[in-house]
Amino acid sequence: MSGPTSVRGSVAKWALNIYALLALIYLFIPIAWIVGFSFNNPRGNYNVQWQEFTLANWREPFGDEALTNAFVESLRIAAISTAVATVIGSLMAIALARYRFRGSGTLNFLIVLPLTTPEIVLGSSLATLFLDWDVTRGFTTVVIAHIMFQVSFVALTVRARVRGFDWTLEQAAQDLGASPVRTFWKVTFPLILPGILAAALLSFALSLDDFIITLFNAGSLNTFPLYINGSFRVRFPPQVNVLASAVLLISVALMIGGMMIGSRRKKSS
Amino acid sequence: MTAVSTQDAPERVRRPELVGLAALAGAGVLLAAVGARWFTGPLAVVALALVLAAIIWLVFTAVAGGPEARRRIAPYGLLKPGTLWLALFYLAPLVTLLRLSLSTLPSRFAVEAEFSWEFQNYVDAFTDFGPQFQRAFLYAAVATVLTIAIGYPLAYVIAFRGGRYRSLLLGLVVVPFFTSYLIRTIAWRSLLNDNGEIVRFLDAVRLSGLFESIGIMDNGRILQTPVAVIGGLTYNFLPFMILPIYVSLEKVDPRLVDAAQDLYSTSTAAFRRVVLPLSMPGVFAGTLLTFIPAAGDFVNAFYLGSPSTTMIGNSIQDQFLVQNNVPLASAMSFVLMAIITVLVLIYSKYFGTEDLS
Amino acid sequence: MKRSIRPRAVELSRRQFLIRSGVLGAAGLTAPQLLAACGGDDDDTSAPSPTDAPSGSSPSAGGGGDTLFFENWPAYIDPTEDGLTGTVDRFMDATGIDMRYSEAFNDNVEYFAKIQPVLGRGDTIEPDLIAPTSWMVGRLISLGWLDTLPIDQVPNAVNLRDDLVNPAWDPTGEFSLPWQTGFAGIAYNLDVTGRELTSVDDLWDPEFAGKIGALTEMRDTIGVILLSMGVDISTLETFEQAAPAFEKLEQAKADGQIRRFHGNDYFDDLSNGNFAATIGWSGDVAQIQLDNPAVRFLFPESGATSWADAMVMPKGAVNRDAAAAWMDFAYDPVQAAQITAWVQYVSPVKGVREEVEKIDPELADNPLIFPDEATLAATRSFATLSEDVEAEFDAAFSRIIGA
Repeated sequence: MSGPTSVRGSVAKWALNIYALLALIYLFIPIAWIVGFSFNNPRGNYNVQWQEFTLANWREPFGDEALTNAFVESLRIAAISTAVATVIGSLMAIALARYRFRGSGTLNFLIVLPLTTPEIVLGSSLATLFLDWDVTRGFTTVVIAHIMFQVSFVALTVRARVRGFDWTLEQAAQDLGASPVRTFWKVTFPLILPGILAAALLSFALSLDDFIITLFNAGSLNTFPLYINGSFRVRFPPQVNVLASAVLLISVALMIGGMMIGSRRKKSS
Repeated sequence: MTAVSTQDAPERVRRPELVGLAALAGAGVLLAAVGARWFTGPLAVVALALVLAAIIWLVFTAVAGGPEARRRIAPYGLLKPGTLWLALFYLAPLVTLLRLSLSTLPSRFAVEAEFSWEFQNYVDAFTDFGPQFQRAFLYAAVATVLTIAIGYPLAYVIAFRGGRYRSLLLGLVVVPFFTSYLIRTIAWRSLLNDNGEIVRFLDAVRLSGLFESIGIMDNGRILQTPVAVIGGLTYNFLPFMILPIYVSLEKVDPRLVDAAQDLYSTSTAAFRRVVLPLSMPGVFAGTLLTFIPAAGDFVNAFYLGSPSTTMIGNSIQDQFLVQNNVPLASAMSFVLMAIITVLVLIYSKYFGTEDLS
Repeated sequence: MKRSIRPRAVELSRRQFLIRSGVLGAAGLTAPQLLAACGGDDDDTSAPSPTDAPSGSSPSAGGGGDTLFFENWPAYIDPTEDGLTGTVDRFMDATGIDMRYSEAFNDNVEYFAKIQPVLGRGDTIEPDLIAPTSWMVGRLISLGWLDTLPIDQVPNAVNLRDDLVNPAWDPTGEFSLPWQTGFAGIAYNLDVTGRELTSVDDLWDPEFAGKIGALTEMRDTIGVILLSMGVDISTLETFEQAAPAFEKLEQAKADGQIRRFHGNDYFDDLSNGNFAATIGWSGDVAQIQLDNPAVRFLFPESGATSWADAMVMPKGAVNRDAAAAWMDFAYDPVQAAQITAWVQYVSPVKGVREEVEKIDPELADNPLIFPDEATLAATRSFATLSEDVEAEFDAAFSRIIGA
């Protein structure tokens, strides 16, 4: 940094830093509540008033059977939809980033559209489609819905990641006699894999947490968010907090892991 | 992208990219049409056969053509599965939504609506739900402004003063959003209770009188007021503002800022003339990513609001899933999408960048 | 999980002891069953929770195999917890029939919206038994979406209270068997109001602005308000007769008096003080008092509405024999008394009072559970409206409460 900083300037600088710190604290207020109340021993059906500290909820994270079933259902949905969406979304991303072709503008637009449509429109329109087809809404329709918004998300995320990719490497490999298929698996794929994995993780999280689109297309199926919404009328067991905190911990662990691998790579290269 | 040489490889297929484009577009449109049930019965079978034919045609052209033809046709092949998925499960539903929005229920508890050019649904959507539309856009707009006010300084500090802790700090911004959206909102509901921690704190530090007078509190409560709903929206969509702003700020060369400070003498001017314009694409993207979902949201208004703070999302949800008036709900959905599209187009025209991602 | 001692458990232990000794004696359980029942007390987490929402992932509708599935309202049965063996578990122990019990009802309209797309298309829904409110039973009968009950397999059905035989909503009595009946009045939190409430008009006190609730059940909310205006709700014929109550409610909403319209989900708001008062159901208050003793129920002098929720079998329900066994069990006065002692509503079963007296003599004298002449004289049930008029009422009400 250059230039003399006046007293006023440094006060302003610190004021800004403190403001940012407060903003960061604000982000964590409900998180503190969620994690804190996972250690609460509630008196009634609602885990919303602090009573006393207990580890019992963490000892029995799956102590609430219906909640656990819903959670498992959510994991199944997220696993299937993420697998499908990652494959077809990544293919789209490669096509968009790798080639220059007629119609790419329109296709770009088509991919962006679902992300700029409010979730309630996506959810209700899909529900009208299934109504129109006379299809009973349930597990399959939810998976279909999730794949729909994940495809766009994966395509855009992976495209952003592979944009800087040096495609002449492919050319070089082929000039050296590698077949296009071999080139893809040996050269291209390893290089774009981190981008694909990151997109897959994020879209897994999106699926796990989706409420609005799922609500319209679930029928009698219960996912983790749907169960929380439905049961909140009668009960809010501490296991909700435990599972939410656990998801948080796992995500943070994955993120830190990713960061460490990333920084090691940077150093080695 | 790299330019591909066109001289080598004999041209066995003419204009392979046209084959690819035609096969892709044709299959997409046909599938969407079948999905929306424009074609039914035997016609639908024919249409599906044509979709299949288009796929085979694409594959055949790729196999028959040389490496050059394959290269030119490749993007269409790669795009095919995703495009067809979106055609069937994004485009076709919108057509169905439009058709249902112009339908009527033949009787009060009927399950299937009949198409009848029923424009009355749109009239009802506006006349009966005007306040909900207004609130949705008002709350979303205020929440968007608040996310900028909170998110921009945070993104700025992380980008320019984070040093080697930048990615850690950015991680901290994202971490809260790995917990469920619903549970976060329920957490606020619990925190904002009339006898909850926040109201008690405000009472203790004697701020409730002040808050009451400026309208943040209402008869000793925050929960189930517009303030709570807007607060919830602001909180829940904050990362969608912070991340794009951060990405655009990160690209700004610090040396440029130094130079600007030398040039304009005050750091405020340097910020206004150099950093701010360069970060506008981030603000633009963040605004869209915040405003659009916020305008269609009903979770915050449901958990944190009252009957006088319902947003259009609540109404659509209620009409669709509780009142079972699917035609009216469809009309409302369609209007919501139309208004948002128009707003986005206007906004893009004045502030836009060509790239949303 | 093991819970430490809490007021609720203390409060229960006395009642629970009486209940268990009474039940075991009366039901004549054999020793192994007795052991099983006692064993169940210790692992109260593995015992089926009464509150599992439907989690069926199978798209195929229709009750699963031979598990009886009953969808009911929340806090509407004695649960298995804190050393108490609930009716569902006692039933399973006594009959060997597997049963799934869920609290899926929150509001009749909302529940109807869930089943309408399925039943309306001629498919079957999962539960074998559901318990909508009487007017909704009438609607389901007229839509042809119910099967007749296997009443001939329910000998205890003779215990049905005389005033509920062949009721207006089910004139032949072959489609429904009441689960519980009760009143809607004012539920309030004394800590927030700071005074005992005396009339429905207290709801409109500006002091409680933004702290008042009301039920999404039109017949109870509008009914209680109409009664406070001196209108007899049992003889309503046109919308105009009820219009003043709709205007009152709309005005209260516009003034910001109403905080939230709710179904059966108001326990939390009332007990933690977000509601000063709300229109609520008599028995619920007994449940809320376990969490917060400051919650009270006011039976308005102007009158309370009376209602009935009835067990019905949706079209195509498969477990008819098991359902009959369950209804027979629930209509045994000894069993019904356990439910009454817990839910504190008015039981539709004759002979319950005598059984309740053995459990808790105080309860037997509670006019909200065993209404006396004066109480009955002050209650009205909502008139059965003609199809068109009902549509008008529904539209007006959903416009006020609807989002």
